[in-house]
Amino acid sequence: MLSKILETLYTKVFINIIVGDSKSVVYLEVVSKDEVISSESESFKTNILSTDMYTYIKSCISKSPYYYIAILDKSANQGAVPTCNDTKRYIDTTVLNTICIDKEWTCYTSQDDIKDLKYEYQSVGLDFIFSPFSILSKFFKDKINSSLSIFTLLEEKNISLCVFNNGKLLYAEYLHKKIFSEEDSLMMDTIVEDDDEDMSLDFDGINLDDLDADESMTSLEDFGDIEDLSTDIDIEEFSEAQEIKEIAEEKEISVDDINDDYNKFIMIQDSINNFYHDDKYDSEFVESIFIADSIGISSDLKKYLEEEMFLNVVVRKIGLEKELSDMARAEIL
Amino acid sequence: MRYSYIKPRKKTALSKDMQLLFTFFGVTLSMLFLTYMFLLFRDYRFDQNRAEVLQEERDLRVSIETMKDKITSIENQNILSQRVFTKNIVLKDSIHNLFDLVPGRITLSQAQIMENGLVLYGVTPNKDIYNFMLQAPLRSIFHRTYSSFYPLDNGWFRFVSTNYIDEESNDEY
Repeated sequence: MLSKILETLYTKVFINIIVGDSKSVVYLEVVSKDEVISSESESFKTNILSTDMYTYIKSCISKSPYYYIAILDKSANQGAVPTCNDTKRYIDTTVLNTICIDKEWTCYTSQDDIKDLKYEYQSVGLDFIFSPFSILSKFFKDKINSSLSIFTLLEEKNISLCVFNNGKLLYAEYLHKKIFSEEDSLMMDTIVEDDDEDMSLDFDGINLDDLDADESMTSLEDFGDIEDLSTDIDIEEFSEAQEIKEIAEEKEISVDDINDDYNKFIMIQDSINNFYHDDKYDSEFVESIFIADSIGISSDLKKYLEEEMFLNVVVRKIGLEKELSDMARAEIL
Repeated sequence: MRYSYIKPRKKTALSKDMQLLFTFFGVTLSMLFLTYMFLLFRDYRFDQNRAEVLQEERDLRVSIETMKDKITSIENQNILSQRVFTKNIVLKDSIHNLFDLVPGRITLSQAQIMENGLVLYGVTPNKDIYNFMLQAPLRSIFHRTYSSFYPLDNGWFRFVSTNYIDEESNDEY
């Protein structure tokens, strides 16, 4: 009774941790009586609980005794199965933690991975570990109950993919980023080549070091008196060089993005093929895909899906930290 | 609906020390409260007992008054009985004296003893015997004495002697 009264007097702090491959994001929400009174986000270049991250979380915890730490499950051994009762048909429940969602389907994850996660964060403690599938189902709740579609949650290196038919789960898989095989790489190169031919040529034809040095030397020879040197020319030349460097960097990033998108496309394609061919699942032909994009994908992935798999693609931006916080709040309030 | 694989840890605004402190104060306060309640209860019971005792006292007083009345009544009855007893003794003595007064030659046929008087009926051989042997002592006792004679066939006289004691003398008695 007393604790309930005290609970209403204090604000609640929700600390949400999203761990990526290269960085982790800690999103803080301070809630008072169902209202978010403040929120902030801090990014750390680590995928473990570093000292900086620990210090930041501790500072968040000190804001209120009623704090809740939520994290998104990154276990490789997680997934979802289309039943709540007959889970043993699909998974070994003795080594997995399961949660029945909507009395229709079940999310599961490895007990050992949960233990490892809790051990890793034991210095700050964990209150919630959410499955990306439950977040995905909540995010696309309006679409899941009314269509036969693929629903995917795209993270930096992982994809949570599931197929729903009017609220009924048909298939689900948690995918990790693959290393390209040479065959795939070649396929990808041919696709990329056509789009970026001109840019590639321009890029190959410029040697930044040579250009810089030659131009400077010529200028020096032409102008005997150093005092006559025009500063404008140097500046112009310097700015040209800078532009070229920037273009080169952009191109590298662009190529990486395309690699990444193609990789994701392959993962989705493999998974869907598995869905169509595995007898365990009631496969049906799917014509549309809804993508919850947490990383900001380029239009290439959409293009691959549309052109290669003939899918209608709908991309919707998702703030994973915010969704995680909403889930945690829904559990508490 | 639950979505998390784990349950949230129990949160509290109170640290261990504060919990201990609150427990201590809680126990102390509860003991004080219980003592206060006990005293209240005892006070209530005391008031109740006092009211009962007062009621009992009132009842006893009423009872005493009733008993006093009864005692007075009994005393009065006792006085009355003693008076009656005394009267009876006096009456007995009077009758005894009366019969002592009557000489052997006079025969009484009826005697009426009243509050203030005595009426004697009887037979006397002659008036003189009556006058000397009976009327004389009667006169000494009663204030007023009246005698009437009726002659009988055998020469004797039937007499009626009416004797009275005056009121004043009676009161003294």
